[in-house]
Amino acid sequence: MRLSMSKDTIAALCLIMACGGLMLASLDIREPDYGVLSPAAWPRLIIVIMGVLSVIFFLQSAFGNGQNRDAAIVAVKDAQSRPKGIVEFLQYWRNVFAVFITFGLYLLILPHLGMLISNILLSFTLLSLIGGWRPIAMHLCIAIGTSGGMWMLFSFVLEVFLPRGTLTGF
Amino acid sequence: MDIFLLALANIVDPATLLFMVIGVGAGLMAGSIPGFTIAMAVVLTLPFTFSMPPAQGLATMISVLVGGLSGGLMSGILTGIPGTPSSVATTFDGFPMARRGEAGLALGIGVWSSFCGGIISAALLVLFAPQLAAVGLEFQPWDFFMLVMFALTVTASLAGEHLIKGLIAGAAGLLIRTVGEDDAVGVGRFDFGSDYLLTGFDFIAVLIGLFAFSQLLSDLRNPVNARKALSDQKRVEVRIEHRRAIKILMRHWFDVIRSALIGMFTGTLPGAGGSIANILSYDQAKKAAKDDSQFGKGDPRGIIAPEASNNAVEGGALTPLMALGIPGDITAAIMLGALLMHDIVPGPTFISDEPVLAYSIYIAFFLASFIMLGMQSIVLRVFVLVTRIKAYVLATIILTFATIGVFALHNSVEDIWTLFFFGLLGFTMRQYGFPLAPMILGVVLGDIAELNLARALAINSDPMLFITRPWSLFFAIIAIFSTVFPLFQKQRGSGSLLERLYSPFLLLSLSAPLFMMGGVFRTSLAVLAIFGSGYMLLRHWARGANTAN
Repeated sequence: MRLSMSKDTIAALCLIMACGGLMLASLDIREPDYGVLSPAAWPRLIIVIMGVLSVIFFLQSAFGNGQNRDAAIVAVKDAQSRPKGIVEFLQYWRNVFAVFITFGLYLLILPHLGMLISNILLSFTLLSLIGGWRPIAMHLCIAIGTSGGMWMLFSFVLEVFLPRGTLTGF
Repeated sequence: MDIFLLALANIVDPATLLFMVIGVGAGLMAGSIPGFTIAMAVVLTLPFTFSMPPAQGLATMISVLVGGLSGGLMSGILTGIPGTPSSVATTFDGFPMARRGEAGLALGIGVWSSFCGGIISAALLVLFAPQLAAVGLEFQPWDFFMLVMFALTVTASLAGEHLIKGLIAGAAGLLIRTVGEDDAVGVGRFDFGSDYLLTGFDFIAVLIGLFAFSQLLSDLRNPVNARKALSDQKRVEVRIEHRRAIKILMRHWFDVIRSALIGMFTGTLPGAGGSIANILSYDQAKKAAKDDSQFGKGDPRGIIAPEASNNAVEGGALTPLMALGIPGDITAAIMLGALLMHDIVPGPTFISDEPVLAYSIYIAFFLASFIMLGMQSIVLRVFVLVTRIKAYVLATIILTFATIGVFALHNSVEDIWTLFFFGLLGFTMRQYGFPLAPMILGVVLGDIAELNLARALAINSDPMLFITRPWSLFFAIIAIFSTVFPLFQKQRGSGSLLERLYSPFLLLSLSAPLFMMGGVFRTSLAVLAIFGSGYMLLRHWARGANTAN
């Protein structure tokens, strides 16, 4: 038996560590004097089950490659299609990073600029980052049209109080 | 009769009818766009419905669902790309028919098969949900707890070779639900001193993040595909041929009924949805055909089977939801969320406690199928326009909409953070091959499982009751066998010991709780199960002896 370090093996190790961390965190759960089932009992039971499953997953992924030909083929194909080097990696995940970073920034500016402006900025930035900066006028129209339309629909038809910006006041 | 009339008045109210028409239209569009799943459409409808009365909100969601189930056929037949996983098999024969100039007929067969599947499943839902609810009244907390465990293992087992990943995902879903204040005693769990974590994650925001956000990210990952439109067709000159389609359907009425029954049954299994039912019924239609040479080349039966079955799935999925409070699939889990949002807890007493709402659901289901039939031709024209929109534009609009929708659930920015975190988690899980369905079911059923565990232990602290009570034992046995099922499926045709013993042992094991339940019917079932098991073992033994000779 030879240990192989695949994507699944790394995932299994992360899961085992997460289970360990969560089990430690469960020790902080207060135990009240009342109630039949302790508040920590159910989460601990799940963590134990998840931990056992993660160990099985680790053993399967680390030592089971030779037994499963299909999995080995998938692993090889996966390795071939995976980006090599930092530049290729960034190019491969470009759009995903663009969405994460833009959305993260959106969440930070939302309390200051309010939902209308923040949503227009979110849509416009995403459209331009993923679709390119050339059809900029079209992207701006789509961003204003859709975000503004939804803002009006929720504010005036569904009567939802959407967040107002501390800087803009609306 | 009064209840029926009250429910009818709820649904035929002009505002409800208008929302249903919009819902069916939106569902048809959503179903027809590849990458935009029905579950995503239903989950995004949820924020709209929370200000509506429960019956109106549920009718709108059912309309989106029925529309979505039928929408996939348009894209599948006209472009060869299935709009949803539940219409994959429709493309096998629908697209070849369209290519030889019979697109109108193929669409007609698809539309009418969907309609028939929906109506049959709605009728069966009305028939079976109260019966199942009556059985559900026998359930005690031990049984409900084991039922949840069974639902999770069955869903995980559908991940096939990735069973272990499915089980881990299910456990992670249960764990996510424990974050925040404990419902029973109000003690904070895994809050790490944060107020945000102490309030717990809103499960609708978790669902939208896990399902919709992560799906959008997956669709946008490839920069080339993200900038592509589904189709560059300017116009589609297709008229749906209703008359010819009805004639063909009448000729193959048995295929319609068989496929609808397959769909209904698949729908009742937790986690198994239209994506499995359409392939299964296509396969059965092909096997049952005297001449299957035209399958894959444009045989009408190849459209009838998947479309009748995928529309019947939801009737099946709603049956355990309405009767037991256990959703049959992701969309039914979202429906459960909609009910909980209106403080209605489905369970065995739901139909008797909320008869008007239950009947409203039945009527909405029937009516939505009729609306779908009328709207297909109109939506077909809009579909061509939508397919010309580039993928990244659609994804951005949907993401912006999801953001406002999630906020509107509780007027809370924290829910948008939840959407973001779980979008990231869902995307990572997809990349690592973890199925999302068990996790979603875990999130939805987590509270039910813990509540029933606590109730059971409060009544009697003996843990053995979880496996010695008839129904608990019944669910425990199916849970164990469903966990072994992927292994059994893998070894099919190999003549291995597992393959030979799996079915007889399943039947034999199930006979024990059936005997324990008592009564003439269940005892007879137990006896039949033992005879069936004995027959299978003898057959295997005889076959083994023949091979040895």
